[in-house]
Amino acid sequence: MNVVVCAKLVPTGTPTLGPDHLVVRSGTDAALDPGDEYGLELALQLTEQHGGDVTVVSMGPDEAGQAIQRALAMGASRGVLVSDPSLRGADALVTARVLAAAIGMYPFDLVVAGVESTDGYTGTVPVTVAEILGIASVTAVRRLEPSDAGARIERMTERGYDVYECPLPAVVTVTAGSVEPRFPSLKGIMQAKQKPVDRPSLQDLGSRDLTATQTVTAVTDAPTKAGGEVVQGDEAVGRIVELLAEAKVI
Amino acid sequence: MAVLTVAVTLFWRRARSRLEVLRAARPAARTDHPGERARRELSHVLGQRKLFQKAAPGVMHAFIFWGFLVLLPTIVEAMLAAIDRHWTFPYLGHVAWFAFLQDLFATLVVVGVAIAFTIRKIQRPDRFRGSHMEEADRILLAILGIVTTLLLWNASRIALGIAGHPAAAPVADGLSGLFGAGRGTEVAERVLVWSHLLLVLGFLTYLPRSKHLHIITAAPNVYLATNHPRGYLEPLRIDLDSADADVRLGASVATDLSRKQVLDLFSCTECGRCQEVCPAWNTGKALSPKLLIMDLRDQVAKEAPLITAGAAGIVELQPLVPNAVADQVVWDCVTCGACVRECPVDIEHVDTIVDLRRNLVMAESRFPNEAGAMLRGVESSENPWGQSASARTDWTASVEDIRVLQPGDPPPEILFWVGCAGAFDERAQRTTQSIARLLTAAGVDYAILGPRERCTGDPARRMGHEYLFQMLAEANVEILNGAGVTKIVASCAHCFNTLANEYPDYGGAYEVVHHTELLSALVAEGRLRPDPAGGRGSVTYHDACYLGRHNGRYDAPREVLRAAGAAAVEMPRHGERSFCCGAGGARMWMEETEGTRINDTRFAEAEATGAETVATACPYCFVMLDDAAKAKGSAVRVADVATLLAESTLAEPGG
Amino acid sequence: MAGAWVFAEITRDGPHPAAFELLAHARSFDDDPTAIALGQGATEAAAELGAHGAATVYACDDPVFAEHPGRPAAHVLAGLIEAEAPDVVLFAQTYDSRDVAGRLQGSIGSALMGNATSIADPRHARAEIFGGTKIVDVELAGPAPTLILLRPKSIAAEPTGGTARVVPLEADVPEDIRGARIVERHEESASGPRLEDAKVVLAGGRGLGGPDAFAMLDELASVIGGAAVGASRAAVDAGWVPYSYQIGQTGKTVKPDVYLAAGISGALQHVVGMKGAKRIVAINKDADAPLLAMADLGVVGDLFQVLPALTEEIRRRKGS
Repeated sequence: MNVVVCAKLVPTGTPTLGPDHLVVRSGTDAALDPGDEYGLELALQLTEQHGGDVTVVSMGPDEAGQAIQRALAMGASRGVLVSDPSLRGADALVTARVLAAAIGMYPFDLVVAGVESTDGYTGTVPVTVAEILGIASVTAVRRLEPSDAGARIERMTERGYDVYECPLPAVVTVTAGSVEPRFPSLKGIMQAKQKPVDRPSLQDLGSRDLTATQTVTAVTDAPTKAGGEVVQGDEAVGRIVELLAEAKVI
Repeated sequence: MAVLTVAVTLFWRRARSRLEVLRAARPAARTDHPGERARRELSHVLGQRKLFQKAAPGVMHAFIFWGFLVLLPTIVEAMLAAIDRHWTFPYLGHVAWFAFLQDLFATLVVVGVAIAFTIRKIQRPDRFRGSHMEEADRILLAILGIVTTLLLWNASRIALGIAGHPAAAPVADGLSGLFGAGRGTEVAERVLVWSHLLLVLGFLTYLPRSKHLHIITAAPNVYLATNHPRGYLEPLRIDLDSADADVRLGASVATDLSRKQVLDLFSCTECGRCQEVCPAWNTGKALSPKLLIMDLRDQVAKEAPLITAGAAGIVELQPLVPNAVADQVVWDCVTCGACVRECPVDIEHVDTIVDLRRNLVMAESRFPNEAGAMLRGVESSENPWGQSASARTDWTASVEDIRVLQPGDPPPEILFWVGCAGAFDERAQRTTQSIARLLTAAGVDYAILGPRERCTGDPARRMGHEYLFQMLAEANVEILNGAGVTKIVASCAHCFNTLANEYPDYGGAYEVVHHTELLSALVAEGRLRPDPAGGRGSVTYHDACYLGRHNGRYDAPREVLRAAGAAAVEMPRHGERSFCCGAGGARMWMEETEGTRINDTRFAEAEATGAETVATACPYCFVMLDDAAKAKGSAVRVADVATLLAESTLAEPGG
Repeated sequence: MAGAWVFAEITRDGPHPAAFELLAHARSFDDDPTAIALGQGATEAAAELGAHGAATVYACDDPVFAEHPGRPAAHVLAGLIEAEAPDVVLFAQTYDSRDVAGRLQGSIGSALMGNATSIADPRHARAEIFGGTKIVDVELAGPAPTLILLRPKSIAAEPTGGTARVVPLEADVPEDIRGARIVERHEESASGPRLEDAKVVLAGGRGLGGPDAFAMLDELASVIGGAAVGASRAAVDAGWVPYSYQIGQTGKTVKPDVYLAAGISGALQHVVGMKGAKRIVAINKDADAPLLAMADLGVVGDLFQVLPALTEEIRRRKGS
């Protein structure tokens, strides 16, 4: 089973926004999105058990090479980095189109991604990729094993989980905590340096319309939460209920 | 003569296999400072210093050891006398004092063996659990046989009138009454000398495959022991750019062990002194340092033919973990060094355990899951908790005038190395604040690195991630050297050990003191004036492994406590024999699920002294013992020495 | 007047409550929004949707939508959009609706905005980013309709008492694009969601005093719904709850919307596992507990009084 894993470079600290309302990349520490490590781990386990290779695909600035190196150190066998100045600030649709084109260049039975990125958490790109590729998808997956029909998949729901029969190839997104991502060994880090990283250009991908459909017009600070408030026992219940309501959980 | 040849040949053949295994091992650069090594040889081997750490067994062993040293010429004499009844040493054979010594020490050996059997058969200490008891009995009986035949042989010679100075050998002289003067005694004399000879030679051939090989290996093993403070680990230089993927990353198979590590295995007598003091073993974990060494020894012995068969054999070697030693055993170790301190033959268990960890972590990425967060934190945020660097100065909010050393600033007289725990852990922050207030009060010119400080790398290194440690050490040394730092005060015992003992390997040579040392000196100089009348009640001080046993700092914290007006009470296990809090060796970052908890065990010991306060000098100890106190709901307070001093010195509360 | 559509997610228990909120959003710029309800119970749900302001409800009760989540719904929507040309389609930011929206974007190539908290018109909406610390205003371009995912409970649903015109739909979904099929459903409502996934985490520490007190947290969790119960290392070490409950450095890391800590002092070991929570509530009788200082809401009090009273109050509110 050949698996393509989508990996994203995300800022590790608190990111800042530049005057163009885009995340300031220079000087910001960034790393492979921790949420992507679960999918990568699942992919590695699948290929270890059933054969095949893991290819990791990322779209982002040149520094996204770090995220790919990390994935290669964990055990992926090939990296693909799509990096182009015109992609800075790309929205979900552009990202999905580029990823779908890049994924399409490699043989795969399964595409794995995180449920949502740690920085943007829109969570729609993987299914959009699936639609562009014209294949099935299951999101919020906690377990996957090959079956006669393709794959038997457990998907998290609000109240438990559903079991899917899914034809392959397919796109799945993997939830945090479903597997324990491995810590790359030093051997893995050394071997990663020898592994191929392809850098296809946008022309190579033949990507069509890559105009962003979203523009940030204004950024304002959210009203600071009534943080640091300390109350005594009596008013406690009322204040906790208010907070739960503000958080939209009751 | 033929008997001798056969015995020596057999001995040699067996010993050679051991020697070849040693030769196949990695070289160990352990021959520097010969003077210091020779001194250790005199004290540990001739003087039996470490054996006397336990009284009765020490006397037992010293009697036998010294006895055989003295009797060595006698044994040679017996060999020659077996051929020529009248042969004797030119001088020694004729002087009364030597006859006396022979008689005395032969008797002492018998007494020694008697003590040994008393210990083993009547006292039956737990430290022998897992040791080969029958083998030990056989060896002791052989020793007894060798010496009794010697004594009786001497007695028969006295009866025959061959030996001079019977009066100088009262025991043999007394025994000579057993013999007449006739032909029977002549035969008996022959039988005895030959029995003695055969026992000695039999013992010789048995030796190389037995745990008694230590009579040959112990002396070189002691000589090759480390000259560094016990907290020091030998670096494993890793250069990712030039290294190929086959670089040695710690110890995977037998041939990855160093010669010292292999000699350690061949030196173990299974005495179990290490097991007796091991915090892991004492709280019901799988690890016993003795069993670890024995299990490694057994695998190395089993694989000796492969090891000596060259490249073809080496590829067949099985990994030491989990074949000889289970994974859990490797992770149970707190690296407290109690085993190493106790070991009479200077086996270095901790170094071997860390080498096994290095391979598991760096080559196989195999370690307890829960410790992964620490490694990730150290890797990405340069502290074990994954906190942001900017939060390193959060503790300064409530302390005035803390100078944060900026790039280009003139260096302070002393750099205060806060440490990650001291900076981020809410409880340890109180200690940090106390130290800062005291230094300010004493007018010390000091500064902190603030966000430029990184983890020293100690947790990663003890966990086995040498590469991560190396990167942090290099980065920290670059900052420290760049800032012109010459003197450092560290509050964490682990930081202290790493900075003082390990950073010199990475180009960072500083004068490093622990905060208790600095505070003690400031009190002595009168720069801090605690009010002893303030009275801190009864306090028991818990020695941190990496301050005490690993680095010999026992007095300064106690002096500070005394100055602060504390009435000191000691726990049964203190000073060199202190019992770990359970957090060392990166155990701070692992779950402890087997047996009882080490911190609970230690806290119970502290509580039993009746002290009102348990004083610590390391944030790990503080957190571990404070957790134990809270879990128990105890009224006993846990506080750092610095906080107690601050409370009795400064007008405002210490933290 | 902009044509606003609302994708009304049909669950096995009827329309998702967020559908009514979406209608309230839609009505802020379209007096007669349209709702699309796909799945068993859709026609039945039309009345309720109408009562919350939907003027028209396209309804289809075909089981294909429940059996194959996502893809058939997107397919039907795409067809309907082509025919009717709305300006905007609103979705709830739930797993299922999000999948439909993502699929739809892939097929029609429209702009899609996630995590919106409010919407001004089909081309302008607002979202919170960076853990709610920043608010961004976003302009959407591209072909109509725009697709906007709104966070549930961003505004309250508003009943209008209206009646919707119901337009029945045929589910014309070719076999080869149905995608993954559900073959089993497992409910674990008794144990609630996993710690890592829960929107609300209730964690107990040493202050609970024993294993029995965790029952108070369990009860509160079931009253809130979607809440999971966790613990500090001290409570796990004491053997009150299993290791799988542990939150912290050597346990799980959680990032819920609300984290409520009861009887947890806030040792660093614990804090690193929950500091990513959006809102932190700490209840402790010790006013010096470090977690109180970092909490958005610190309660100095007896958790044995606060927790039952809180459970009662939430139950009362939900009941009313």
